[in-house]
This record gives sequence, structure tokens and C-alpha cells, in this order.
Amino acid sequence: MTEFSLLSPIQGQKGVQGIIVANSEGIPIKSTLDNSSTVQYAGLIHQLVMKARSTIRDIDPQNDLTFMRVRSKKNEIMIAPDKDFFLIVIQNPSD
Amino acid sequence: MFADEALDTVSVQSLWRKSHEAAQESKGCQTQMFHSAESEVQVISTTISSTQTELQEQATEQLIQQNRDEPEPPGLKDFLQQVEDMVIRELVKNVRSHAFDGFQASWEDHSQRVLLIHSLQHPSAKEKGLHVTSVSWSCTGSVIACAYGRIDNGDWSNEKSCVCTWNLDRRGLHPSQADLVIDVPTAVTALCCHPCQPSLIAGGLYSGEVVIWDTSRTQDSVVAQTGLSADSHRDPVYQVSWVPLQKKGEFGVLSACSGGRVLLWTVVFEQGSFVQKAAYAVLQQQVPHSSSSFKARSNSTVGITSMALSPWDSDTFLVGSEGGLLLRCSFSSQKLAATAFEGQNATLRAPAVFSFRPRSGPVHSIHCSPFHRNLFVSGSTDGLVHLHSLLQASPLLSLRVSDSYIFQVQWSPTRPLVFAAATGKGEVQMFDLSHRSLRAAATIEQGAADQAATCLAFNCQKPHLLAVGKTDGTVNIWQLSADLMEQSPREISQLEKIANQVAE
Repeated sequence: MTEFSLLSPIQGQKGVQGIIVANSEGIPIKSTLDNSSTVQYAGLIHQLVMKARSTIRDIDPQNDLTFMRVRSKKNEIMIAPDKDFFLIVIQNPSD
Repeated sequence: MFADEALDTVSVQSLWRKSHEAAQESKGCQTQMFHSAESEVQVISTTISSTQTELQEQATEQLIQQNRDEPEPPGLKDFLQQVEDMVIRELVKNVRSHAFDGFQASWEDHSQRVLLIHSLQHPSAKEKGLHVTSVSWSCTGSVIACAYGRIDNGDWSNEKSCVCTWNLDRRGLHPSQADLVIDVPTAVTALCCHPCQPSLIAGGLYSGEVVIWDTSRTQDSVVAQTGLSADSHRDPVYQVSWVPLQKKGEFGVLSACSGGRVLLWTVVFEQGSFVQKAAYAVLQQQVPHSSSSFKARSNSTVGITSMALSPWDSDTFLVGSEGGLLLRCSFSSQKLAATAFEGQNATLRAPAVFSFRPRSGPVHSIHCSPFHRNLFVSGSTDGLVHLHSLLQASPLLSLRVSDSYIFQVQWSPTRPLVFAAATGKGEVQMFDLSHRSLRAAATIEQGAADQAATCLAFNCQKPHLLAVGKTDGTVNIWQLSADLMEQSPREISQLEKIANQVAE
């Protein structure tokens, strides 16, 4: 997928390995990674975001998910959700 | 004085039953009439349909294609502008944060020790005193295939040997009884399991033949066999590998023998025969000049003792010879070989492109790193393991592994900095390049020290298993400890640093 100029301020941050924008159904729209990784990330993270959102709303219906950070051994995945899209940024903070 | 008496019986009437009977009434009820009707149904027309899953890659490619041509969805720009600030703030905070320094979640049991799980033997091979020449795990990771033969025999022999397989996941695993024994007319010198189909095994024999066995066949396991023709090898085949061909999903067999030839075969399964696709011959006079002096420029062939394919570059393969030469070769080389072998039909090509610094003994094993495209290790009989970069002739690192021969080296499939070497003293030394010291991270040995460990194989599906074959005919399956298996966060960058060193 081709790079998108609106993503460049985020792309330029230190340690950013990849950025994916997906729609509300988990289908990737724009991405800076290769095809297979993009589809894998978008599908899996969409499920995770839906689960996290329903968890927050079950605990308190007035509350809602605003941001998610998943930290793993090798990197950190940041997810900014929205009504129609969500943005996934993969960063390696120790780079 | 005493007399018999007969008394009348005394009985008490039940009052309970009478009182209940007095109060009883009978009542009956019935449902309304059911209306029922009979009817029959029959399908007028039928169709048959079936589905099957496809290989993963094809599906994902189609998904992306359909999105590329669509115009940008409305609202995308606004969304991105809205979240940009928040995301950048978090990214910057993350880079500066020390919150997680040294923090590690432990998900699994950290086994500290290396354990011997199974010790597999084939009694008839042990009686004949055969050595294990090659072990290979199947693509599913549950079956281990072992080839028997001899490593010390220099002569032609008619000794029969066999290939045994054990399925380690089966409940009734007998260490002394193989699940499947395939009898082979001569010693087997090389073995390789198919990377996708669990039942196919390719083997190279001492007589120069290349055979493919299908373990799912109950009768004759031999699927295809090269005959002893002029086109095929006539010397022991020391390495066979499955090579991915142009068409996706198809594999060919690459075999290297000590007669100096490397042949690429495609298999025609229906006819049970091999078709030679390409032939390469490595000749002394065509070895590229390296920096060190190599005066002998004869017409003789270079006996090949080991070969490795690069998982990163489908055109490159590495070859190690009996004289210690280490060459980088290319499949697409167009240079013709200087001499023709008598009776050879296909055109022989000279594949050598670059030669590394020669070793002082036969190179028994080469393996390319699965984590870095330029690195590979080579082990030879001088007891040293050299870590090379494909770009430089001199080795980057030279480690003394043992005082005896090294028969096989292999990189770990999970830790980029770890490799294991099977030595002639029977030990398997595992080295971790992240350690500062040059001593082994782990030494795995079992049994007498005079039995050499001739081959080893890591299990890619189950990374905690390591199979080691020895000259006493046993195959030991070891479970590795957690620190030899689990990757730490900085390993890939450390590997990069090592690869970028310039050798002096």
C-alpha cells in the first residue's frame, strides 16, 4: 500500500515501525506495511478493540474507549478508535 | 403342670382405608380431538458442491487489491487530523518513558535445565553397528526421521541400512521400536523432509542415488528414484534439500555429491521418476580467486561435503568442499563448466560466484541464519565454527567449539544469536553470541565420550526440541531450557551489529 502524506507527521516520530488506518469493519484502508502484515494486524486488532470497548461500556455505560496501548516484548501498538475508522501505530520505543 | 393352650388370633381392622374409600370419587378427562394429516416431500433437483481452504497468501492479496482502487472514504482526513495530536503525544511520551525498563511478564514456566526426553534406537541398526548419519523433523514437527549409515567408511559397501521414523506425539511411543522402518539397499548419507507435505522424505544414498519416500504408502514407500545413469551422481550424495521452484507450491530436489556435481531435479510423481532440471559442476580451475593463495589449478572436481540454501535469496546457495573451500554459488549462473562429464546430457554450468577464506579441513556443515540475510555459520574438522557474512571473504568470528571434528552446525530457529554444533566427542555445544565470553552457553552430552554426535536438528514447529544423532545408533531428543529458546528484545539489533562488523 502506498504511503499517505497525512500520515507523515506520525511516520516521522522516533521508533515508528508502521501505521495502518482501517475502517470500522476492520478492513485496512491505508498502510505503510506490506499487504499480509497489514491485513493480519487490521483484522486482529479490530477484534481486540471491539472487545475492549464493550468491556469499558459494560462496566459503565456512560464511559467509552478513547485510546488503547498494547505493550509487548518487542514493540508497542497504539490504537486510536473512532466511529468510522481506527488508527494503528506500531512503535519500538527502545530504538 | 404345663399344658398346651390354643388361643384365638386377635386382629385389628384398618380404619384408614375405609375412611379414604368413603371420600373417593372417580374422574376422567380427555383431550380434544387431534387433527392430523400426512404429507410427503421429495427433492426435485440436486446439486453437489464442495469447499476447500486455500493457502493464506492468495486470500490476503485479493483483499488488498479491491481497496486500492476505491476513492478515499469521506471523513478520513478529518479523522486523521483529529487523532494526530493525541497519537504523537503518546508516541513521544513512550520514547522518553522509563516505566517498563527491566519489566518482563513471565507467561510460561521457565525451565532452567536442558532435559533428555527420549532416547530412540532401532535395534537391528544397533546390532549392525550403524551410525546415525542424518536426522530431519517433518514439517508438522511431530515426526522425526533418522537415516542410518556409516560416517567412517571410505570403501564401497553393500551393507543394507534403513530410515526410521518416530512420531513423538503418539501416545504409544516406543523408544526402541520405530513407527516406520524403510529398508534401503545402501547406506543413507543425507535426509530432508518436505517443507509442506508431511509424508514425503527425500534421501541421498551412498551409491549416488536420490530417492523420495512417501511414508503414507503402506506397500512400497519409494515414490521416485534416480537410477544410476550417466546424468546422476556416482558418488555419495552428502546433502539433499527441497528447493521452492518458480511455480508456487512446487518443490524440486537439490542434491550435492562428492563427485563435484550439484543437480536440481523435479519430480514427476505419476511416473515415479526424476527429471533433471539443471546441473552444476564445481571444478578446481573455476573457483573464483580469493585473497589467499590457491596454487593448485587442476582440472579435477571439487568434492562437495555440504550445501546450504539461503532462505532470503532464492538464487544463492552455499557449498563447502572436502578441501576446505567455501563457495557462494548462484542458480542462475550462465558460465559453462570447463569439462564435461562423460555421458552428461544436460549442459553443466559453473555456479561458483565468490569464494570465502578456505578452511583447513573438510567443511562438514553450513547453515544460513534465518534472522539475517547475510550471515551464515560453517563448521569443519578443525574444531572451529566460523561466522561469515556473505559480503566478505574473511570470517567475522571464529569460535573454538571443541578439540575434535565438528559434524554439524545449525542456527536456532527462535533465538537469532544462538547456534548449536555437534562435535566428534559426542557433545553438542550451544553458543550464545550475546554472552561476552567465548565459552559455550550450554553443553549437551549423554553417553560415552567416544561416540561422536554426527547430526542435529532443531524443530521449527516446537522450538524447545532438539534431536541429536550419534555414532552408537541412538537419537536423543532434548528439551531446551528457556534461556536458550526465548528471544530477548534486543537480539535482532545485536545480530545486525555483528553482521555489520568488518572483518580484519
